[in-house]
Amino acid sequence: MKRIIPVSLLLGAALALSTPAMATSQVAVAGQSAVQNASMKAPLAAPGVPGGRGLAIKTAKALTVPLEGQQFIDGAVILIKDGLIEAVGTAAETPIPIGYEVLDVGDRWVSPGMVELHAHIAGTFDINDTVYLTNPGVRASVSVRPGDRKMMMGLAGGVTTILFIPGSGANIGGQGVLLKIGLEDYESMLIRDPGSMKLAQAGNPERWTINPGRSFMNWNTRNTLERGVAYAKRFEKDQEKGTKRPKRDLQFEVIRALYNNEAQISTHTQIYQVANMTLTMVAEELGLPVFIDHGTFNAYRVAPRAVELGVNAILGPRNVDVPTPGMMGWAGTNPERIQGVAAGYQERGMKMIGFNTDSPVIPQEELSLQAAIAVKYGFEDSELQTIRGLTIIPAKTAGIDHLVGSIEVGKHADLLITTGDPVDPRSCVERIFTEGKTVYDTSMERQRW
Amino acid sequence: MKQIQNCKSLAIGLTALFALTLPVQASASFEDDKDKDKKEDEVEPVAEKDKDQYFLVHNADIYTGTGTVLRSASLLSKNGKIVKIGYDIEAPGRDYFKGIPEAEREFRLRSLDAQGMRVYPGIVAINSSGLPGTNGDFRDSVDPFSENMVLGLSTGITTTGVGRSAVKLKRYVSYEEPLPYDFDGIVLSDKTYASLSWTTSSSRRDAREKMSAARDYLNAYRTWQEEVKKDKELAEPEKKGVDSTYLEVLTGETYARFRAADRASLLGIARFAQEFGFRPIIIGCREGWIVADELGRAGAMAIVTARERRDKDERLSAEGGSSIENAAILTKAGVQVAIIPGSNGVDLGGIAGQDIMHLPVEVGFAIRGGLSEELAMASISTVPARMMGISDRVGTLEVGKDCDLIVTDGDLLHYQTFVQYTVVDGQLVYDKEEELYFAHIRPRPEKEIAPEEALDAGENPPETKKVEEEEEEDEEGDDEDKPKDKEEGDDDK
Repeated sequence: MKRIIPVSLLLGAALALSTPAMATSQVAVAGQSAVQNASMKAPLAAPGVPGGRGLAIKTAKALTVPLEGQQFIDGAVILIKDGLIEAVGTAAETPIPIGYEVLDVGDRWVSPGMVELHAHIAGTFDINDTVYLTNPGVRASVSVRPGDRKMMMGLAGGVTTILFIPGSGANIGGQGVLLKIGLEDYESMLIRDPGSMKLAQAGNPERWTINPGRSFMNWNTRNTLERGVAYAKRFEKDQEKGTKRPKRDLQFEVIRALYNNEAQISTHTQIYQVANMTLTMVAEELGLPVFIDHGTFNAYRVAPRAVELGVNAILGPRNVDVPTPGMMGWAGTNPERIQGVAAGYQERGMKMIGFNTDSPVIPQEELSLQAAIAVKYGFEDSELQTIRGLTIIPAKTAGIDHLVGSIEVGKHADLLITTGDPVDPRSCVERIFTEGKTVYDTSMERQRW
Repeated sequence: MKQIQNCKSLAIGLTALFALTLPVQASASFEDDKDKDKKEDEVEPVAEKDKDQYFLVHNADIYTGTGTVLRSASLLSKNGKIVKIGYDIEAPGRDYFKGIPEAEREFRLRSLDAQGMRVYPGIVAINSSGLPGTNGDFRDSVDPFSENMVLGLSTGITTTGVGRSAVKLKRYVSYEEPLPYDFDGIVLSDKTYASLSWTTSSSRRDAREKMSAARDYLNAYRTWQEEVKKDKELAEPEKKGVDSTYLEVLTGETYARFRAADRASLLGIARFAQEFGFRPIIIGCREGWIVADELGRAGAMAIVTARERRDKDERLSAEGGSSIENAAILTKAGVQVAIIPGSNGVDLGGIAGQDIMHLPVEVGFAIRGGLSEELAMASISTVPARMMGISDRVGTLEVGKDCDLIVTDGDLLHYQTFVQYTVVDGQLVYDKEEELYFAHIRPRPEKEIAPEEALDAGENPPETKKVEEEEEEDEEGDDEDKPKDKEEGDDDK
């Protein structure tokens, strides 16, 4: 039986990386590194992290998953320096520089850390403020608790980046924050704040204090957004002219970020009619960057229109639309067929399909299972659309694809080492790097998931 | 009928051996049998065949569940029992059913070409709710038309524990003339376990007292059995006040089943079982991975949910909580493990992957935690069958057992795999293409219609077939000769 080894993660990582070095690296390299080590007086930075020497990972299969082009490399070498990916390619075309620590993971696969755009588990749960029906000024970032247990479980399932967002009790729940998981403090975890503005339509906000109907909620939301856009325009104008100091309105600052394409609206929207309303109001009329979040039940029927408007869909936690007449928004046109939600979008021409868990609705560590279930129910996966839907597509959707989401030169070294296909529930995530740092390692601690 | 009996000597293992080592010999002996049969067939009266029902699945990779995998093999069942597994198996020909209405023939003899597919034993879900119909006592509530039953069969589940009973998901199958539904026939056992409580101090004391009383009674009874031979007037010991459930546990008629999660309870149950000499089944067994060796020594068995999650109490330094490795660690310590999902009913809320319809997915998470693929398969077939005392009938594919099987389009434990056909008691009860639920997802490619003799070799007189085979052999021989000639010619040049 494995026992927890009482060594801190940081020290553990250093040990794990330095021990195999003796066995795997060549004599000359080992000799040189010994000299380097001797000359350094400060505590050693682990290979791959900023300040440390380079790290080379040799693997049987690397799922590089760029948005376009070759999706994987067999017999790959990935070079990591200062927390970033320095090079990636086949072993033949990627020489390992002298002095680099070599980590040969054998037949294990390497893939990018997963990106979750709908998480509620990065801290305290007071993220559902419902004093007003629209709260664009509220920030989820104030609730973040680094090392939160549920978040760390999610990490063990391979999720390295999350969009931590407010709940859906009100129409505009507030601002989400994009975070890296596994790092020590909020400052190092932070990718972007505001990460998004959370908009919730129909369903949940109908339970708000005075039970508003959909028509009123739409008007109220549109009113808020339009005022925000007007503020953003006025602000920009004032700034451009330089004649008058722009007046800040904290309530609408986030809408200014949306207006400038620096953040997106993550919309809790599902059921055809509601999702269509999202497209009309937010994408078409206001032209704000938005993505469909949830998008379940029969909302897949908006797919052609969403593609036209450039709106991506991050789907879940429901994965199938089942023929149960009593269900909310059931349209009755699907009498006895179990329709995969993701498959529904894909069949209608959408390519930018991602997955979410709405954790803790589905535990964060089961994000990859959402893609597996999509495949089961008809989602086509011949070009690794599942892996992309867990990595680069959500990264692109949140506008952070220059940082994370694929194994490409210059991006963060957020990597998973798995025993096989990361989508298969049978595969185990054995080790995780966030920005080159080992943040989870089953050889040093009990397998969490 | 005789056809089958003559070939019965070819047990599965032997058949496999023949097929691998001496294919020529095996098929030769089969031809001999067939010649004899033909004459007997002709005189057999129709009346005797009236109730016979055959099911043949051929061309499939058969995962028997015994550790044997037969590639491109066949399986034949007669009247719901497996009669043959192996190679060169033929079902009776159409002529066999002379005098039976055409509409009935398909029901009497079903032949399934499963080329490129796999055959597994039907899944045994040790615990489920609502699959055979509504909840409650199944005899009063079984619904052979139930949507949940179809969805259970679509998952590959053919047998399930409902309360203390083990029942088959036997769907109403009809042809032109409906047959009466066999309500009693669906029950494999109605005494699969005895439920004992170990949750409170009083329930523990109660269990111990009743077990002691049962043990004392059994000892007294056995002593009496010996002594009554000498003194015939010796009175039988009083059974009054002895709980018969506990007697059943001690005599091994049924297993005692406890629901327990924390390691203290698990250790208590292990000690209790060892003291009284019975094998406990523990459902839940969350912290089993911590006390696995102790459970193994007590001969305990466990029913676990691979994805169970419970945080350890951080205030305590001892190990605690759930572990993804639970099933793997328990089996390594000799504890037999059956797996159930977190939600044991059919969930049509749209959140897939958590309910009884995704039992193979749940098993996948046990594999993630280190359980071998083979033991993972056993955890939803042989082990639960054994725990319910019905392993003589279901759990593996062996000659003499019930013909409960599933035909899948790939590895059963892969997330993409669909069950294409489900067979219960030799009857096709689920066909993915025939139900509207999943027929639209990756539809099965329509097969080219092969010549009839190739589909059902039994239809042709043996002579004709023999000639064909010889011809084929000749052709092959010719083909082999020709290139050799050419090569020789090339060498000369």
